[in-house]
Amino acid sequence: MVVFIFMVLGLLLIVLQTTVFMIHPLWVSAPDLYYILVAYLAYRFDLLRSLVIIFPLSWTMDIFSGVVLGMYPAICFGAFFLLKTLSVKVPLRESFYQVPMIGVSYLVVSKVVYIGILLFEPGVLAPWSWPEMLVRVGLMILLAYPLFRLFEFINQRLQRSFVPYRLLRVRPGNRYRQEDN
Amino acid sequence: MRQKGSSKRSNRFRAFRFVLLSAILLTLALILFVSTLGSQKFGILHKLVFEVTGPVQQVFSRAAGYVNVFKEQYVDLIDVRDENKRLWKELQETRAAAYKNREAMATNAKLKKLLEFKESTDLPLVSTRIIGKDPSLWFRTVIVDRGSSDGVFKGMPVVTGDGIVGQIITVSPNYSKVLLAISPSSAIDVLLQKSRVRGILKGTGSLTFKLDYVLKTVDVKEGDYVVTAGYGGLFPSGLPVGIVSKVIKKRRGMFLEIEVTPAVDYLTLEKLLIIQQEKPFNE
Repeated sequence: MVVFIFMVLGLLLIVLQTTVFMIHPLWVSAPDLYYILVAYLAYRFDLLRSLVIIFPLSWTMDIFSGVVLGMYPAICFGAFFLLKTLSVKVPLRESFYQVPMIGVSYLVVSKVVYIGILLFEPGVLAPWSWPEMLVRVGLMILLAYPLFRLFEFINQRLQRSFVPYRLLRVRPGNRYRQEDN
Repeated sequence: MRQKGSSKRSNRFRAFRFVLLSAILLTLALILFVSTLGSQKFGILHKLVFEVTGPVQQVFSRAAGYVNVFKEQYVDLIDVRDENKRLWKELQETRAAAYKNREAMATNAKLKKLLEFKESTDLPLVSTRIIGKDPSLWFRTVIVDRGSSDGVFKGMPVVTGDGIVGQIITVSPNYSKVLLAISPSSAIDVLLQKSRVRGILKGTGSLTFKLDYVLKTVDVKEGDYVVTAGYGGLFPSGLPVGIVSKVIKKRRGMFLEIEVTPAVDYLTLEKLLIIQQEKPFNE
């Protein structure tokens, strides 16, 4: 259920990003909402569930954006593993560091993917622009906190679940208790 | 006995006073009546009364004036608040109506241009609307609400009344993705309308094109019109593309560096036309 809801949420964010936030085809101030979700998954979800959510998310981004298929999966999975590794290896569990880290990872992953595409398909991309990228990063950092709160709220609500499975679950008896025959 | 006699006298005096007062009043009334009806003159008595009542009237009139001012300035504010609310509501409604009218006029102008283009050409066209825009900073594509079920296929040119917009790059049954001509991966065969010299128009990712492969020997000036050449068979020939906005002649190299401003305003793109050619235009 959690996975499905977050998949739908991801699609909704992509739709918002490609419609409401894009005022014209060259609009710069549109935050990459899908990336914030990827970062949230990296910080809060386990590996399997995250991958199940990220796969359709990046797939859909590829459909809606660009001409190079596979670019968004590269960005999303790259960002996910980078943030996941950082959150485990480096003491970045504090939420104080997590939000700026989203911006830094966005820049790093984007630059790596950009260079990769330039190498394999030159002449396809618009020139790299630091001011535009920094605007995107700024917007993402601004929106990361409220969106994290929203995702956290949804996640917690879903954890409580509509059907109390734990109560319905058939529990085995206490195997350590000696049966009186 | 003495007391009885004095009260009798006082009663008589009262009666006398009453009669005397009545007689005076009657006489005055009679005089007033006769003087009013008789000579029709504004007599001394009139003037006297006039003079006496005038200041009183003045005082009352001023007081009434102050009361009126007070009422207008403070008590009427209760009504003003309601009126203010009503007027604000009216203003908002009027503003909304004005905005709608302006919007309708702008849409009308755009549709008129599309219609003029549609009527001026024999090409089979299908109208479409942009429903999504590429959020990436590196690509320039849009999603439109027509697909293969409407007879739209990969490679078809997309235009507006002003000129070329781009071409279809991917198609699903009901939706398509359009690669805008300003995209760096777009390349179109074009002609300089005046000199009839051919070049390749490439997107830059911004609101300008780059015109490549025009020799330095060619006379190109700012303001020259650029149109589609129709050589590749993808675009029909003669469609407006843009206007030359900058020409740079470098010492090195064979070709000019030419910047072209698009004929189409990419910032206000909304409704588009897809040219439905089944085979290349140059066949």
